[in-house]
Amino acid sequence: MLIVDTDVHNYWSSAEVLLPYLEPYWRDFLVRGEKPGPTGSFPHGHRPWLHPEGFSRHDIKPESEEDNYLIMKEKHLDFYDIDVAILTADEPLEASTLANYHYANALVKAYNDYMIDWWLPKDRRLKGSIIISPTDPHGAAAEIRRLGGHKDIVQVLASHGSQRPYGDPFYHPIFEACAEVGLPFAIHFGGQGGVNHNAVASGPTAYYWETHALLSQPAMTHVVSMISNGVFEKYPDLYFIVIECGVSWVPSLMWRLDANFKALRKETPWLKMLPSEYCRRNVRFSTQPLEQPQNVKHLWETLEHMDGQNTLLFASDYPHWDFDAPTNLHIPPAWRDKVMGLNALEVYKRIDAPAATARVA
Amino acid sequence: MTATATATARTFACKVAEVAVGKPRIVTIGRISVGIFQLDDGYAALLNICPHRAGQLCEGPVCGTTRHTDRAEFIYERAGELIRCAWHGWEFDIRSGKCLVDEKLKARIFPVHVDGEDIYLEMGR
Repeated sequence: MLIVDTDVHNYWSSAEVLLPYLEPYWRDFLVRGEKPGPTGSFPHGHRPWLHPEGFSRHDIKPESEEDNYLIMKEKHLDFYDIDVAILTADEPLEASTLANYHYANALVKAYNDYMIDWWLPKDRRLKGSIIISPTDPHGAAAEIRRLGGHKDIVQVLASHGSQRPYGDPFYHPIFEACAEVGLPFAIHFGGQGGVNHNAVASGPTAYYWETHALLSQPAMTHVVSMISNGVFEKYPDLYFIVIECGVSWVPSLMWRLDANFKALRKETPWLKMLPSEYCRRNVRFSTQPLEQPQNVKHLWETLEHMDGQNTLLFASDYPHWDFDAPTNLHIPPAWRDKVMGLNALEVYKRIDAPAATARVA
Repeated sequence: MTATATATARTFACKVAEVAVGKPRIVTIGRISVGIFQLDDGYAALLNICPHRAGQLCEGPVCGTTRHTDRAEFIYERAGELIRCAWHGWEFDIRSGKCLVDEKLKARIFPVHVDGEDIYLEMGR
């Protein structure tokens, strides 16, 4: 079976791997400027929720930069026979928390060059995401146009923490650039700090685990905002991919949206379809962390209401603490081929379909 | 049932010197990966497969946890008695294999015997 893992974090041991990729002015920022930790830490306005055990699986213990790839290869890519792994970086998503958006742009640009230089040549299974900082949509658009033609880049990725809902016209230059280069726009859990002060509705929760369970909140807002602001009318071929924000909330939200839209569509006359129809056509959701009810049939029934067979993309979130193994994903068996890999080929058009699907039979 | 069938077969696991308090030794016996733990009062062994999602249970940190309380006080207890799965961090009692939040969920345990410098396990069938 073809396995496309849509969320694999390529760690570094020190953010100083970016130094060769930064222009001298920004290099001084990273060398001599204030950082949120010791030398080698990546600058960001840190999230106020600290994971009490650290993010990473405890069996992943890199001692050198090279180990970050070698362990991924041994314990993940080879172990599960994964055909395609989409790299989603890690700390670079947090550039969106910095007030100085010029610095944020310089950092993500350095990361993108480092990823293309260091990660992609290591393994033909690896595909890259262009990380952007949404705090400067025009700068982000320039970065998308700079690298959008690279054959192994498959998406544009931003943190789900942001200053505004992503459908806001402020962000449309990003989607215009994505549409121009033919890449999906994805958001991934993160960026919950610094200038992104709306990480949790009603104000900040106290504990990491409760906050993590609420990771769907900003994703709900973004999905609704992208639909209501007509992003998918403006860019009908754009895929919006929601990574690591849970999935079982989608059906109930769509029921509510469709009901409200039927009464109040006059507010948004640019919409030509029901909200749920845009969601079905343009939005995809990564599976991890897949909800874990006592009775898995309750989950499966919920997923049917979002056409999960066609809208879900497998993701492991390697190497994080809430990792989902490809061998143990609780989805209906009849959906496995699509969710584990084939749906990703529909969305990530740059993935070499003939080579990837050769394995399916 | 014959007398030989009821006798418990013991399988060599590792040397006493290879295990320390807080530093389990992971050994492969046949095709089975097992974590050998030294506790204050002896040794214990757990299958290195977590009953939650089959993660590498014994590669996580050996630790304690917070006692149940009625108010916001954090009483650290049972230091060294728990293993926190390397993958998802679920806590298990090293001696009983029981998961703290759900005792029905049990990691497989193996009886341990120490003979001089050698540690043996009853692997069962």
